[in-house]
Amino acid sequence: MSSPAAEPGAWRAALWVLPALVPVATILVAGLGSALLQSLGLMPLVGAPALTIDAYRVNAGDIATSAALSVAIATAATAIGVLIGVTTALTAVAGRRWALWAGTVTVPVPHLIGAATIGLLLADSGLLARLFGLSEGGWPALVGGRWWIAVVLEYAWKESAFIALVVAAVLATRVAAYDETAAVLGASRRARLRLVTFPLIRPAVVAAATISFTYTLGSYEVALLLGRAYPEPLPVMAIRLFTSVDLATRPQAAAAAIVTAVLALLAVAGALMTLRRSAGWR
Amino acid sequence: MSRVVRAALVLWFLVPLVPILLWAFANRWPFPDLLPQQWGLDGVRSGLAAGAPHAFVVSATLGLAVAAIATPAGALAARALTSGRLPIPRVVEAVLLAPLILPAFAVALGLDVLVLRTRVPSPLAVVAVLSVAAIPYTTYLMRVAFGAYDKGFEEEARTLGASRATVLIRVQIPLLAPALSGAAFLAFLVGWTDYVVTLLIGGGRMVSVPILVASFAAGTGNSSVVAALSLAAVIPPLILLTLVARAGPRTGTST
Amino acid sequence: MSTRLELRGLTRHHRGQHVAALNGLDLDVNAGACLALLGPSGSGKSTTLRLVAGLDQPTRGTVLLDGDDVTNTPAEQRGIAMVFQRALLFPHLSVIDNVAFAARASGMSRRDSRAASQRYLELVQLGDFADRCVADISGGQAQRVALARSLAAEPKVLLLDEPFSALDSALRADMYALLRSIRDALNPTIVLVTHDQSEAAAVAEEIAVLIDGVLEHHSDVRTAYVRPSTLAVHRLMGGLNEIPGSIASGVHRSELGSHVLPADICARDGPATLVIRQEVVRLAEPSASSITGTIESLQSAGIRQRARVRVGSSSVFVELPPQVSAAAGTVVGLQLPTDALHAISTRAGGAV
Repeated sequence: MSSPAAEPGAWRAALWVLPALVPVATILVAGLGSALLQSLGLMPLVGAPALTIDAYRVNAGDIATSAALSVAIATAATAIGVLIGVTTALTAVAGRRWALWAGTVTVPVPHLIGAATIGLLLADSGLLARLFGLSEGGWPALVGGRWWIAVVLEYAWKESAFIALVVAAVLATRVAAYDETAAVLGASRRARLRLVTFPLIRPAVVAAATISFTYTLGSYEVALLLGRAYPEPLPVMAIRLFTSVDLATRPQAAAAAIVTAVLALLAVAGALMTLRRSAGWR
Repeated sequence: MSRVVRAALVLWFLVPLVPILLWAFANRWPFPDLLPQQWGLDGVRSGLAAGAPHAFVVSATLGLAVAAIATPAGALAARALTSGRLPIPRVVEAVLLAPLILPAFAVALGLDVLVLRTRVPSPLAVVAVLSVAAIPYTTYLMRVAFGAYDKGFEEEARTLGASRATVLIRVQIPLLAPALSGAAFLAFLVGWTDYVVTLLIGGGRMVSVPILVASFAAGTGNSSVVAALSLAAVIPPLILLTLVARAGPRTGTST
Repeated sequence: MSTRLELRGLTRHHRGQHVAALNGLDLDVNAGACLALLGPSGSGKSTTLRLVAGLDQPTRGTVLLDGDDVTNTPAEQRGIAMVFQRALLFPHLSVIDNVAFAARASGMSRRDSRAASQRYLELVQLGDFADRCVADISGGQAQRVALARSLAAEPKVLLLDEPFSALDSALRADMYALLRSIRDALNPTIVLVTHDQSEAAAVAEEIAVLIDGVLEHHSDVRTAYVRPSTLAVHRLMGGLNEIPGSIASGVHRSELGSHVLPADICARDGPATLVIRQEVVRLAEPSASSITGTIESLQSAGIRQRARVRVGSSSVFVELPPQVSAAAGTVVGLQLPTDALHAISTRAGGAV
């Protein structure tokens, strides 16, 4: 699709895209580039630049643990989010859009607020514990417990709304007519889901799930409020090291940040390969 | 069966919001009572005293600034992308969508040193980073709008004698207004709801509503302040959302 | 595939609407017959098809297949296939997989369903297109694939909702021929919705006319042209000649004179409009005809010409055979063959 740039239309189009392209490219390159350089010792706060991978080596064990934890949380949250989000979108097809509306209400809620309110809901002294009348010890440690349940649930809660909205949009535009066509060809509801609906929404689900996954991977405030002190997800580790009094930990903070970015890119690469295998794309 | 599922989903989405509704107006609510013992506005008062109005202004300014920057940038970029004449469109698309998948904290963390060294004012830097974070949303939304947009309206207007400016003001913008307001709303949300970027680059001097809430949430016994502030963080965007939804689907005839 | 279709009192009010989109439709389609459902836009034709297919529920009335009431059966279990105006081929499946869809949905394996569907693809003369991508074929080809897909479902009744309206006329002629060959091969019961009377005549044996949700005419094709039940039907069938007058004792009196009506018309005495097809009226020498008039204007209708002949204050349209030419201003005589005459009773003071 490369056209000769001498075309006037191409120049104009290129001009139009600059107000968005230049800031995005600059900030991403500057930000991640700087983080990369800091992690490699090439942009130290004090002293001379010297290429080294110490920042990665010193914390390798912790980084690995944190990475595993981050990926686990993101996977669990995205899986639940996809399940609930797709179900919500499917219920909205028939016309009763209550569930979708309820999901839309949660969109303007900042993740930090979400963490705060889910904390108030799921804590030992939270609303649910009171509802079930379970006192100390009877209520499982959802907040700050071993299984990061509250953290996963908060991410899943917000992501499910996002995925529901994306999938509902695709269902409304692309899928509606095909569902009827399939029905008059004799396909039962289950067959229609399997043979028509799911294949047609698959690209949108993969895209939305990937975005949710990478967001959760890089999210800080929820794990901060609802998680436990150790192990830490990568962003929590990075920011702790970044804001610590010991300036020597800056490169390590940058290293953790770069690892997170790399994991995100790997996830996207995996998603693109999945999409390429299927025929349907945007 | 589906009615049960729908009800369960509604509960899933709305129940987590109940605690902030209750705690915001609870003066005393010892465990294990199911409802507050004493209702009142103590939490609201503490929130106001702790600087909620100022934080509100900071968050609103952030949101509006991000909307003002990201919406036109995204609309122009979407126009360029749908015109079909952009060179290397796939690469451009990938770059414009990259902020969606790259961790914002990593960008902010790396950028902080540069911001300090170049003496860029931190609010400016925060707005810049958040605008970049919002551009994928505005671009994508406007792409969908331009895709559904029928150039026939423009052409018809021009054959009726409308100048380019008239076409812009009287045809294009009204047709695109719902999508533009939706995109602006999403961009506003990016600014309004951010925590990490404001924390890392703001240098502790930018106290937005999420930052204020976090400072209280980290401690114990602050539940009602946290809840009151949370309400303040949630209600304005919800109001905006209903306004945008009203302006929304007024599409004409569908095929 | 031959099933008798009966509609009894079929009525449908769209959600929130007072006026019925379809009002008390009684219609029978014999097994293996092809019925064209004709009508202007908004007359309820598509509504009828959707009710028969089971995609919408009727407010009142029943749908019967070979005597069985299927009104409450969901669409996927009725065995009624429908081809829409847009082909709506599943974009994520190849051509053969589209055709094989019904088989697949019923549980057949992918290989078996493809093998079973190949013959339907060949029936629509696209046997070589099996592995093509849906996006790579033309509109006409897509419509043929959609037809094959519906036939492969081996439906009891085949419904066609203006399936050829988006195609150019040459392609349309091909599709009519295709439909004929399909009918020869499979003998399905077909209901075709169209707004084009020539298409109805080309494809079907029976024509039913819906106007504003009400069935105004149902007969074989020729009768629909020559003996329309109402003026609206007459106009819909492309009839141009309407001469107001009145009937007394089997004779219609108007500006054109007195005409004895054919015996098979049961027309009441009273005001009535005389209708006759413009294709049937013949020009003759003024001296040899009982009706004379002047050619007011000539209009091309394809290769033929259509003359508008003024008789008094009425106009009679005559479609001239290709070899006959005439000039405006000529005085001509008109011959109206008696057996082609028809009269439609009107209420005093108004047309139907």
